[in-house]
Amino acid sequence: MVRTQSILTVLAASTLLILVGLPVLFIILQAIFPDFARGSLEGAFSKLVIITENDRLLLQARNTLMLAFSVMLGSLLFGLPIGVLRGLFHIPGARGWDVVFLIPFLIPPFIAAIAWMMTLQPRGYLFQLLGFDMGDFLFSFTGVAFVMTLNLFPLVYFAVSRALEMVGGRFAAAARVHGARKLQAFFLITLPLSIPAIAASLLIVFAMSIEEFGTPAALAARTGFEVLVTGIYNRLSDWPIDLSGAALGSVMLMAMVLAAFTLQNWIATRRSYISQTGKPADLDQADLGAWRWPVLGLFALVAAIGVVIPLAAIAVTSFTATISGGLSWSNFDTCHYAEIFQQGSRAVQALITSGWLAVLTALATAAIGGLVAYIVVRGTGRGRALMDGLSVLPNAIPAIVLAVGIILAWNSPYLPISLYGTAAILLIAYIGILLPYPIRYAIARLRQISGSLDDAARVAGASQMQALRHVTLPLIAPSLIAAMMLVFAIASRELVASIMLAPAGMRTVGTFVFAQFEQGSVQTGMAMSMIAITITSGILLAVNLWLARQGSSAFSG
Amino acid sequence: MLRTTLLAASLGLMTGAANAETLTVYTAGPGGLADALAEAFQAETGIAVELFQATTGKVMARLEAEESNPQADVVVSASWGSAEDMHARGLLMEYTSPNADTVPDFLKHSHYTAQGISALAMVWNSQSGVARPNEWADLTDEAYRDLITMPDPAQSGAAFDLVAGLEAAMGDEAWTLLAGLADNQMIVPGPNAAALNPVLQGAKAVVFGAVDYISYGRAAAGESIEVITPASGTVIAPRPIMILNSTDNADAAKAFVDFVLSEAGQALVSQTYLMPSRTDIEGLRPGINDLSVIDVDADAVSARRDEIIARFNETVINR
Repeated sequence: MVRTQSILTVLAASTLLILVGLPVLFIILQAIFPDFARGSLEGAFSKLVIITENDRLLLQARNTLMLAFSVMLGSLLFGLPIGVLRGLFHIPGARGWDVVFLIPFLIPPFIAAIAWMMTLQPRGYLFQLLGFDMGDFLFSFTGVAFVMTLNLFPLVYFAVSRALEMVGGRFAAAARVHGARKLQAFFLITLPLSIPAIAASLLIVFAMSIEEFGTPAALAARTGFEVLVTGIYNRLSDWPIDLSGAALGSVMLMAMVLAAFTLQNWIATRRSYISQTGKPADLDQADLGAWRWPVLGLFALVAAIGVVIPLAAIAVTSFTATISGGLSWSNFDTCHYAEIFQQGSRAVQALITSGWLAVLTALATAAIGGLVAYIVVRGTGRGRALMDGLSVLPNAIPAIVLAVGIILAWNSPYLPISLYGTAAILLIAYIGILLPYPIRYAIARLRQISGSLDDAARVAGASQMQALRHVTLPLIAPSLIAAMMLVFAIASRELVASIMLAPAGMRTVGTFVFAQFEQGSVQTGMAMSMIAITITSGILLAVNLWLARQGSSAFSG
Repeated sequence: MLRTTLLAASLGLMTGAANAETLTVYTAGPGGLADALAEAFQAETGIAVELFQATTGKVMARLEAEESNPQADVVVSASWGSAEDMHARGLLMEYTSPNADTVPDFLKHSHYTAQGISALAMVWNSQSGVARPNEWADLTDEAYRDLITMPDPAQSGAAFDLVAGLEAAMGDEAWTLLAGLADNQMIVPGPNAAALNPVLQGAKAVVFGAVDYISYGRAAAGESIEVITPASGTVIAPRPIMILNSTDNADAAKAFVDFVLSEAGQALVSQTYLMPSRTDIEGLRPGINDLSVIDVDADAVSARRDEIIARFNETVINR
């Protein structure tokens, strides 16, 4: 009995150490030893002067935090109301909405930023249609926070809706029996019970918004609004390359995220949020009644701003012959799609590569993430807090620096065989980068499930593995499935790690699109994006419908 | 089960990894060119080429991270300075291709040779409603207020070379010019593509210091833009091709360099609107003899890089 637990713990810990700990270690070494990549340990700590001698760094750090908090607030504003409604009520077309709100993850952030630019800047699509532009809004602090919010708010939507599905209406009903009014019951009972999930999703939003580069690079550079990650990318964007300075900046970002993580952990563990004790309860989502249309209106509004506008801008751009030609029928052209299929094997190869990478990444992260979450919440060992903390770091490290860490770790000449230079290294990178999603989601879910359910199974004679398989796993499955869909969506278009790590000769959707942008053919890049988004969202919709047909048991608490 | 799947997947992929008969080439854009060169080279020699294509920055970052165990055989960069730097660190193999005879001396070195050349120019949207500028200094005119973009010298080696070149040609007046552009609300949105994009849609009217071949290509594809090279002079950005010292495939690497500098290879280069580095190959656009090129002492400029970028940021970005 103790053995199973310790085997699982060792398994979870070593997987995390290899996938996340190893690259992080090499990043820290590179930050300390400027010539580490060249195999030399000279000049230790000599790079630290860039912290002390650089007053811009302090300003950048302040801006980074301001931006992250604004994006967190914005994500709550956009994601919380619809998440609550989705969790507590029957929403017509609920599964369809889930897929709609996954679409922001299918759009690479830098493309979303360009789409918004082409829509709102002077003489952009908005101006061409309605005669005014919103360039001043877009190229401002608010504009950057707005666009980043739209990339990230679905994290809150999914976390909250899944958590509330599980809390359900039972506790609120009990409160109502004791005389609470409806709103009182919601704010005092139902909402607080989903705090672990909200906090977990906000932690990811925080980490992603201090690490995300595409949006600030495209929009904020114009306003002179510098964040830490811009400086980190600049150190790696043109010769002379400064690996060490970039690594050092990343260590600062990691420190910020670990602080946020500690806060989140304190919120999530200082009291019990258990709402699932094993008492049979139907998934009792209430009917909306007369509120049906206003609620659908709200969903449609959020979808219009967060999904339809950027998607429409991408689609429109992909169908214009020239950008300077603007929105006119004479400028309509399908030549950019023809160009993609003319390049035939290359585009198709990129789609296939990204497809299987995304599937394998989703499966692997769910398996590893579920295991790590189980050990962290249910285990007893000392290293649990370390594992928990380690698992958020990939979100804090700019992908390009994590990729450098992976190269340093896996391309060492001392390794007898190396996966570096093969597609397997991309898989390792994707899993490492995307592990935080299933881990955060599953940990939040597990904190809602009473351990006595496990105990009951054990008393009834089940082994620990059996209890895990037949009791705990089905209970956390909805969160893991939601996380898997996120992982699949993001992996299908991952860019930065792919550029750095893809073996020579291999293309992914992300690198293909980026190469198009670099050559100046924005429309071809947008066309490839449209194709990938269509295929991926089709797959996600099919999976969702299939799950629905399997019966609600997999999804209900 | 999952683990066996992963293992199988990774083993299957490893068999596809590089062997002695393939050449690994890391290259900065243009992407279509690298593909075309690789295909034609394989058709001629039977040697397969595995390409890694990215921006110069990403290529250099990857090379640097791999330095303890290099993977590439041949590197094509968009920055002459990066080749000088790699040579100074002893990373390059000495090789001058016999096909480089008609490459002018200032475009070749014992360890690296220009594959093609771009020049820095102004790119003007002809539907923007403002007059066509002829000279760099024209853009300080009130008419261009709020309508200028420029690539960031910290992110584009070519834009850095332009700033350094203007300084070499004009002295302190170069900084007066840049300050004038900053007063005219010039934006510095990022690397080359980021500076060009607002001009294509018309949000801005002119790029100051664009890499010209991309814009020649877009203009040929129908965009209403014109590439204008000031008669007062501009800088060129030769794109060096070089062989890494660490290659275990020197013969194939040399054969690839020979092919890129052959008539067939240079013809492919010229189709991307780059200037071919061989003077005996026709380009699709004005060639190096049609330009007034500012002479820049590359070594001296590289040494002052941090200083020049700091001064640029002071003058233009963080005024």
